Amino acid sequence: MRNLIRPFNVVLVRKAIADARLLLLGSLFVMFSFCWLRVWVVSLFPMDRFQTIVEQFREFERFMPVPFEQLFTYSGRIALTYDELIVVMCMAVWAIARGSDCVSGALGRGTLEMVLAQPISRARLLLTQAAVTTAGSILLGLASWLGIYVGIHVTHVKQVVTPPVWTPSLSGADFAPWVSSVTVAVPMSQHIDPRVFWPAAINLAALGFFLAGLSTLISAVDRFRWRTIGVVATIYVVQLIMKIAGLASERLAWMLNWTFFTCYEPERFVSYAVHVPRSAWQIIRVDASGQWLGPGPVGHDLILVGLGLVAYAGALLVFTRRDLPAP
Amino acid sequence: MQIETDHLTKRYRRVTALRDCSLAIPGCEVFGLLGPNGAGKTTLLRLLLGHLRPTCGSARVGRWDCVRESLQVRRQVAYLPGEVRLFRRMRGSGVLKFFARVRPEGSWQRARRVADRLQLDLSRRVASMSTGMRQKLALAAVFSCDTPLLILDEPTSNLDPTMRGNVMDMVKEAHNAGRTVLFSSHVLPEVEQVCDRVGILCDGALVHTQVMSELRRRHRIHAHLRGPVPTPPPGEESLSIQTDTAGNMVMETSGDLAALLGWLATLPLAAVRIEPVGLRAVYERYHVHPPQEKDASGA
Repeated sequence: MRNLIRPFNVVLVRKAIADARLLLLGSLFVMFSFCWLRVWVVSLFPMDRFQTIVEQFREFERFMPVPFEQLFTYSGRIALTYDELIVVMCMAVWAIARGSDCVSGALGRGTLEMVLAQPISRARLLLTQAAVTTAGSILLGLASWLGIYVGIHVTHVKQVVTPPVWTPSLSGADFAPWVSSVTVAVPMSQHIDPRVFWPAAINLAALGFFLAGLSTLISAVDRFRWRTIGVVATIYVVQLIMKIAGLASERLAWMLNWTFFTCYEPERFVSYAVHVPRSAWQIIRVDASGQWLGPGPVGHDLILVGLGLVAYAGALLVFTRRDLPAP
Repeated sequence: MQIETDHLTKRYRRVTALRDCSLAIPGCEVFGLLGPNGAGKTTLLRLLLGHLRPTCGSARVGRWDCVRESLQVRRQVAYLPGEVRLFRRMRGSGVLKFFARVRPEGSWQRARRVADRLQLDLSRRVASMSTGMRQKLALAAVFSCDTPLLILDEPTSNLDPTMRGNVMDMVKEAHNAGRTVLFSSHVLPEVEQVCDRVGILCDGALVHTQVMSELRRRHRIHAHLRGPVPTPPPGEESLSIQTDTAGNMVMETSGDLAALLGWLATLPLAAVRIEPVGLRAVYERYHVHPPQEKDASGA
């Protein structure tokens, strides 16, 4: 056990947690409450009216990772939460803020000079920060799921039901057409199993891990935090544009292979979990004939985590070899 | 703790911050580094800590290489940077606890004692401390480490005269305890006060190493003669004499002053002034500034 925690210095871990505490608590609160709120908002719109609205945008269906029909279910509408700006930005802000702070932030504040004069290796310092950031990303993913879980369990949806009326007949219960339908509020949990959102929450956490790794890499090269954030934000926007362009035009579809947002498709993974639960945990997807269909939800998560690991490895390589500019 | 550098060089794109610096500091010595801004003092200290990688040459602290075994080097070193930047959101006590815990040999009690000695209020947040208080806080963190080597980059900057004296006393105590101190400063009297040897850096090169005990034996005699310039007394090989046509004479000697005073008494002197040759004279030998620059700086 001692060897397992050896890469992390307990004092540094405490310091990193103390530094990140406010941002983490704020992000967790926003993530949890927004996801809860989002479920409640879903319950406010009757499904038939929502369907009428969405049908008018049928031509934009290609921009969606799932068919529109998926959006006419409670699970599909709630899964859209993971594409909401607040949720994605909450994770991105956490990951970029912590990743950028790792080296260029500390260099800018000038605190790295005295910290690295102590017997602390640069690798240990970076790994400690990475561990705390990763733990935060996982907690944020968990908070999103918990928000949805609580939302589903405390929210009721209106449902039109026809009460069964027992009339004597040879076959048992018979429907009585003269009995009118009534609208009743039923717990949303009767319609959705919150476990179907696990793949989406994990996908969100994996996105956070990748963004934190990328920010740490840029931070390890740079000496100004504002520039690090600027570079990562530019990469983020360019990658997002590449995904939109790739979806918009057949000619630009190749761009989808070069943007990390291709690996962030929580709605699709929720759809898998709803329809074929086993497929939500596949690394690769193959059809009945064994034909390769692409990475599965876990495969996409692994790609994001793998890219994040490569970025962290690059950051380690750069940071352990670079000169530290004087404060 | 011995320090050794061998042709240590640090070059940036167009600037050579340190050039071919070969230096050997034996254990238990207070070694002062002198030089104007940009002479390479801080670069040398930061190369020793592994903060910078040398362009060529090597440096060792004890038996450890400063690049390959930087972690072992830093286990032996307590370092005070020239510009102290600490965690602004923490209180003074929090900062000292952090540095005490992050080192295996660190001690919070010892740090608190040093802070008391420096009359530092540890309950204040770093952000609300003055520059001098931050300097004291960093000094408390550094002097609380029981390491064989202390590297101090301008330790008395931003301190009042009383605290400067305290810091000098702490340097002497560290020396008496058998620790090696590498000391960079612009304040010549402080360097004269505590250092055993002094290295003078000029444009990134180590141009002179002065043993302070030799310097303390050297005296300069300014005299105004009424008669002809005398021939030096026999046996005074270390005596150098410079005269001008107005009868002014400057003598410098590292020998026994008592014997020289007897000879001076025989000369036709109108006025005489005897002073020790201070570090300033040695320093200025390598750093001659144009007069207008001296005026501007008020020197």
